[in-house]
Amino acid sequence: MTDLTLGALDRDEALTQVVDELCGSTRAQLLRGAAVGGAAMLAALAAPSVAEGRVSDVRILNFALRFERLQAAFYTQGDEIGTVGRMPEPRREWAEVLGAHERAHVRILKRVLGPKAGPRPAFDFGAATETDLAFTRTVVAMEDLTVAFLTGVSPLLRDRAVTAAIFGLLTVEARHAAWGRHLLRRAPTPRPFDDGRTLASVQRAVARTGFIVDRPRTSSRRSPRFTG
Amino acid sequence: MTRLRAATRRWPAVAVALAAACAAILVAGLAGRSPSPHRAAGTGLSALPAPRAPAFTPGRPTRLGSTRELTRWAPVRAPVVARGAPDPGAPALATLSTRTPEGTDNAVEVLDRRTDGAGRPWLRVALPLLPNGTTGWVPRGALGGYQTVDTRLVIDLRTLRATLLRRGRVVLRAPVGVGRAGWPTPRGTFLVRNRLTRYRGATYGPVAFGTSARSPRATDWPAGGFVGIHGTDRPDLVPGRISHGCIRLRNADILALDRRMPIGTPVIIR
Repeated sequence: MTDLTLGALDRDEALTQVVDELCGSTRAQLLRGAAVGGAAMLAALAAPSVAEGRVSDVRILNFALRFERLQAAFYTQGDEIGTVGRMPEPRREWAEVLGAHERAHVRILKRVLGPKAGPRPAFDFGAATETDLAFTRTVVAMEDLTVAFLTGVSPLLRDRAVTAAIFGLLTVEARHAAWGRHLLRRAPTPRPFDDGRTLASVQRAVARTGFIVDRPRTSSRRSPRFTG
Repeated sequence: MTRLRAATRRWPAVAVALAAACAAILVAGLAGRSPSPHRAAGTGLSALPAPRAPAFTPGRPTRLGSTRELTRWAPVRAPVVARGAPDPGAPALATLSTRTPEGTDNAVEVLDRRTDGAGRPWLRVALPLLPNGTTGWVPRGALGGYQTVDTRLVIDLRTLRATLLRRGRVVLRAPVGVGRAGWPTPRGTFLVRNRLTRYRGATYGPVAFGTSARSPRATDWPAGGFVGIHGTDRPDLVPGRISHGCIRLRNADILALDRRMPIGTPVIIR
């Protein structure tokens, strides 16, 4: 498999911006020019984290829900438009299984949060779901980011039973990432230890992907201009 | 002798019961090993509690169902030239604007996708142009995120009825008024692009939906003669051939439609 640069794999620069946000522009520039391997991406994501203030379990779970919704929507869209269906078999199964998992994660987090669950955002994945390669690379980056996020927030949870549940999600997300890395012929576990990211840094990184957007404005109070 | 025979016949059942009892004892022993403070006394492990039960666990993952009944649309993010082929050098057909005549975000149905020689993704979209049914190719980046709907609205010009379906099942039927002689409602497949409410006047009823359909006879109409679906101040004329091309419903019906029909619903007029 030929190594691609991060800039080439993601025309919308969404991933590059994530790395930018997490790791600083110097490292992102380095990645843009360099061949992207599993180790490089994980090393980039694993920049030293910043101390986090006290945040409520509900806020953490709500951000987890937002992030899971993002991922579930990504897989679902890749499936619906046919990108997943056209993948060679090992990758297609991987994408279908992961999509089903992420949708299950969304369902349970919504149920747990009940009326405190935030609204479903609107998404624009640009070209990232359009081709096999862009889809796969984006998924691996998102799964890595999820692992970094859950690793970072798990110690902040006050309720031990919620922590136990989040660990259950974390280990699965780590396997998702490792499975994807294996399919891309990258090292599934390039480092012996995963650093966590702060909630704020992951929030900013997700915001900067541009994947979460305003809903299209399709209602108005203007008078119709139809033929009548 | 008879007793012996009976006991012999029961033997397999007794053996199974004994085996089950042994297995149960073994399993209970294994299960109780970790949390029991007595069994592991002296190892230091006796103080370890059982794993914390998680507050929640996800249900069974399910794969996506059929996408056959889904329609995909996207807002137009930037003015873009639609072309006859997925190629920047292909003939230009029209420029897609970002707004509808009512000022809402323009929306187009996405019909197909392809990648050009340079690896850039392109989408084939239904253009709101005459002749109705024209399609063209635009670069993926000109459109926003995909939206999907599982509804479709069928307008039957012969029976003067509207039928709303969700995943292929009928959820609403209503009589309609359509274009009169000389002002026909165009046939084809179009898209609900916007929803208008609280405007002045009762002519269009309480709710109106803008579509991508255009009247071939009302080209000099303000905004180009788009066909809408709306309520009316003359319910006595519905059903009938009464309009300049628009589809009129009684107000109770347009409100019922409003509750069930999302933006992006395809409108099939036949």
